[in-house]
Amino acid sequence: MKFNHRRKPEWLDWERIQIISLTVVLGFIPILIFNPDLTWISRLFIMFLIFAIIATGLNIVFGHTDQLYLFLGGLLGIATYGTMITATRLDISPWLTWLPFALIVGGIGFFVSYVCARRKLTVILIAIVTLSLQLAIVEVFVGARDWTGGTTGMRYSGFELEIVQNTLGLTYHQTLFYFVFLIFVAVTVFYHWLRHSKYGFAFALIRQDEFAAASIGVNVVRFKSLAGFFGAFTIGLIGPFYGQLERLILPSMFSFTSIDVVVLIMLMIGGFRTLLGPVVGAGVLIYINEELLHGIGQWRLTIFGILLIVLFLYFRQGLVPFIGQHITRLPSIVRRISNRLRLS
Amino acid sequence: MIDITNFLAFTIDGLARGVVFALLGLSITLVFGLGGVLNLAVGAFAVIAVIIVSLLLGLIQLPVAIILSLIVLGIFAITIDRTLLSLVYRSEGEERILLGIFVTLGLLLVLEGLLFVFFPDSYSLPLGLSAVSLGGVIIRASSLVVISLSVITFLLFFIFFSKTSLGLATKTVLQDETGAILCGVNPRRVQSLIFVLSLVCAGFAGILYSITFSVDAGSSMILTIYAIITSIVGGVTSITGTVIAGIFLGLVATYTSAYIGAYIAEVTLFLIVVIVLLIRPQQIQ
Repeated sequence: MKFNHRRKPEWLDWERIQIISLTVVLGFIPILIFNPDLTWISRLFIMFLIFAIIATGLNIVFGHTDQLYLFLGGLLGIATYGTMITATRLDISPWLTWLPFALIVGGIGFFVSYVCARRKLTVILIAIVTLSLQLAIVEVFVGARDWTGGTTGMRYSGFELEIVQNTLGLTYHQTLFYFVFLIFVAVTVFYHWLRHSKYGFAFALIRQDEFAAASIGVNVVRFKSLAGFFGAFTIGLIGPFYGQLERLILPSMFSFTSIDVVVLIMLMIGGFRTLLGPVVGAGVLIYINEELLHGIGQWRLTIFGILLIVLFLYFRQGLVPFIGQHITRLPSIVRRISNRLRLS
Repeated sequence: MIDITNFLAFTIDGLARGVVFALLGLSITLVFGLGGVLNLAVGAFAVIAVIIVSLLLGLIQLPVAIILSLIVLGIFAITIDRTLLSLVYRSEGEERILLGIFVTLGLLLVLEGLLFVFFPDSYSLPLGLSAVSLGGVIIRASSLVVISLSVITFLLFFIFFSKTSLGLATKTVLQDETGAILCGVNPRRVQSLIFVLSLVCAGFAGILYSITFSVDAGSSMILTIYAIITSIVGGVTSITGTVIAGIFLGLVATYTSAYIGAYIAEVTLFLIVVIVLLIRPQQIQ
């Protein structure tokens, strides 16, 4: 934050530099790393961005307004299934149903947050309400077999862009990556704007003291509902691409343990309410999952459980603020080391 | 046209399911009412109890196996209470509630993960009792066993809370933690005791549940959710409320699954809790 005051061209503050460098680095990944022979690596990077987007959604709604949403999997599933089922039934391209469904999911977030805020539910009650919704939604995915294919799954396709692929000479995975990447950049820029807008300010006031905020004229219900909308809309936006990446969707892909737990841990690793927290957390957890847990996959759940406990008890600030604090100390550390060297 | 004999048979099954829900709900109510910790891990302990009983069953008689497994569970509960939960009880208010959610959620995942690795099979404890006919209504004898054992457990709970001094001390902490300290009650000690009691209760509920349904590692989450739903519908701090809510939910679940469809029954349970929370949130804080 200190950088804000030092740097003068106003438009180029520290957070914007972060966004721009992240965009450049991530933008080169498909060209440098993707290899048609190693599709699992491409898959991994796309998955990483998808989870970074979901984590940003949770960051807005839980990080900023303390509404513990435990139905991220359900929201993601409604967008993923809804987009495809509607497109198939109406016999139109899923591109046409993608944004409407993202809006519907955003609407669900708005509605849930609105009702919870009106009824003044505390964080634990919001958690229970949304967890119940999560289980009910997945139960419907499993049970409504005629629509969703149940546990046999539903084939997912229609988000290929042959035109882009052919004109730019990209592979299927590269194209999919750039699409998810575009959404990621848009979501991150939006989140950056949100943090510094009147909404971000109101969120901070509400989080610190709801009653005090209300007493100075902040419409608590409105801002909490809006946070619910933004968070859910972000998740709805990426749902169909999660389906497209896997090509076959199953109810278990949207379960509490496959989405909510993972995203919570990601956000905890990265750091709540930080711009880069979601992307750093998603990167670290996907790396842990693929590299360190490779071959010991059956221990995954246990290790995630331990991570959840240990992180929440001892490392709640997250990596981004942690590194931030140490980076600002870097010049003094360097000076000390160079002094030491000069002396010796 | 609903067949009346079938309906009565469903009612008995529903009651059997309901009392199990009630026992599970009690395990949440006790700990949450007492210290604001929503123990999301209860389902895992219910499954663990069933697994221990199944493992012991070849060696000793069923009643002894059940008692032994509950004792093991009690020891397990003390260990967790002294280590993990002490970290949670250190904090207060909203912070304790959040810590409680995340620590017990983590514990649930750890236990569920370990069960998946070491005990991947599914377990059940069929009593091998045949159905009995009562005035033309065919009733599963196991349902009757479940109901009577649960009723005995409820009675023990009521006696504990109304007659024993420990039970009365617990009630004071339930009402007001600071007030209890002023009366010379050590809340932390009562909390430990109740935690052990709650897990033993959850374990017993799991054992009764496995008489009718089979359980595996994946059931941990589902049993936790049944427990939370029952506790919430019953008003979270009331023991009588939890028992009534459990029976109500058991009947609703059995009727909907018999007359409409199995997955609709699950969805109905979840929606009931959402509706209850939205209608009467102030009761559950």
